[in-house]
Amino acid sequence: MTFTHAWSPPAFARGVALKQRDDWHLTDALEYEHGRGDPFAAAVRATRMPMVITDPARDDNPIVFCNVAFQDLTGYTRDEIIGKNCRFLQGPDTDRDTVTQVREAIAAGDDIGVDLLNYRKDGTTFWNALYMSPVRDKDGVVRFFFASQLDVSDRVEAQNIINDQKILVEREVERRTADLRAALDAKTILLHEVDHRVKNNLTMIGSLLRLQVRTIDDPSVASKLDSMLERVDALAVVHRQLYQSSDIARFDIGSFAESLISDVVGSSGRSDIKLDVRAQPLSIDAANASALGLILNEILTNAVKHAFADGRSGHLSLLVEGGDDYGTIKICDDGPGMPSIARSKSIGTSLITRLARQARAEATWSDNGPGTCVTITFPKAEAKS
Amino acid sequence: MTNTMEVLIVEDEMLLAMDIEAMVEDSGHHVLAEAASLREVEALPEDLHPQLAFVDIHLADESNGLDVCRYIRAHWPDALIIFVTANVSRIPADFSGAHGVIAKPFSHAGLVNAINYLANGMFDPPPSMPRPASLIASPNLEPRWTQLAS
Repeated sequence: MTFTHAWSPPAFARGVALKQRDDWHLTDALEYEHGRGDPFAAAVRATRMPMVITDPARDDNPIVFCNVAFQDLTGYTRDEIIGKNCRFLQGPDTDRDTVTQVREAIAAGDDIGVDLLNYRKDGTTFWNALYMSPVRDKDGVVRFFFASQLDVSDRVEAQNIINDQKILVEREVERRTADLRAALDAKTILLHEVDHRVKNNLTMIGSLLRLQVRTIDDPSVASKLDSMLERVDALAVVHRQLYQSSDIARFDIGSFAESLISDVVGSSGRSDIKLDVRAQPLSIDAANASALGLILNEILTNAVKHAFADGRSGHLSLLVEGGDDYGTIKICDDGPGMPSIARSKSIGTSLITRLARQARAEATWSDNGPGTCVTITFPKAEAKS
Repeated sequence: MTNTMEVLIVEDEMLLAMDIEAMVEDSGHHVLAEAASLREVEALPEDLHPQLAFVDIHLADESNGLDVCRYIRAHWPDALIIFVTANVSRIPADFSGAHGVIAKPFSHAGLVNAINYLANGMFDPPPSMPRPASLIASPNLEPRWTQLAS
């Protein structure tokens, strides 16, 4: 025989109920090893699992048997327990809905397992893992309810502590997320504010230079100021394009070059310069945007000023190509070509060379027969992961 | 028929107003008036009839270019309205009825090209030159060329 097995009706649940009830009272004081009484009854009495049996045939389904473990758990004596309905263990904080579930299960003759907050005789509480099942006779009529109790206060407390901790952690996460969001909002506002100020300042610098140029009579001074103005304009366009894009860490040098060439040639009023533009979007690191933007500006404005000087018409081509790691921009004119001495003396050429070094780019001049080609090779932005 | 546009400049930054005025005049057009706020626009004579208005969004006296745009449309419905602003994102999707926007910081080339394009469209619609990248067109620009051409 095994006691760890699923519960089967003990001897006292078989046969005539009244007689067995009398049996329990007789055997209450007996020990199994004395050889008296039903071994099942003795086992139920001796187990550390608190157990009761109730009799639904009597008024209010009273407890007709409780073992010692039940008395130890609740703090009541047998005399105080026998004859009471199980609800005497309930108290003010016992969950009403759970009690209703138990009551409905009894009424339906079903078994039920719930966790219920119960009260000991001294008023202290414990979490009771109650398992209650009907015991039927051979006709299927419910003769008894058998209930086992287990003090699971530790488990429930641990669960409650975990739940409390979870709520605390969730609140903390929520609070910190709100803090971070507020910080991000502040940063975004600050970024927009700085962006706005930079734009306004660049616009004002451009306007000041333009207004100054108008007052200068010396054409060579005016042309130098014009060059400055074009550089400030190029920087302004770089800044504008950078902050209009969704990603301020990358810069599309391809579309920048395309709009710059049409701007530069368009504003020169030179409809006799024919454009051949083959550009594609090409991302570079935003850190190199200003340098490469200025380089392109120097090459294009130089071409318009020198290759097509004195009203000479011609063709200006722009080719933007991307390799795996490097991009290439090639600008070619069909002018007379620039003497290398003049090239080395102009601030434009020195700007191009120095800025190229800064942007890890390379600028090379070649003969276009007729004219000049400038090729800029530069690292592309790393592909987005 | 003259090819000179009559231009209104609404800008609270005097330097920029002067600069835009210079570029408009250098491009062969005429600046009718300048205003720094909605109140100054409202004080302009009714018979001004500008053909083109450059309007900043942020204006003096807590006023803004969207209100100026509404005023211009109500009083001079024939005017082309182009916002000139660093706050492109503050412009509503329908541009409040305006025809386009030039983003600040504008370049000399960008603004002059836009002026040339608008003049081209106004006097010989629709414009024969491509729209410069500096001028962002609103949904109201194309219908205007059609209307002018008919």
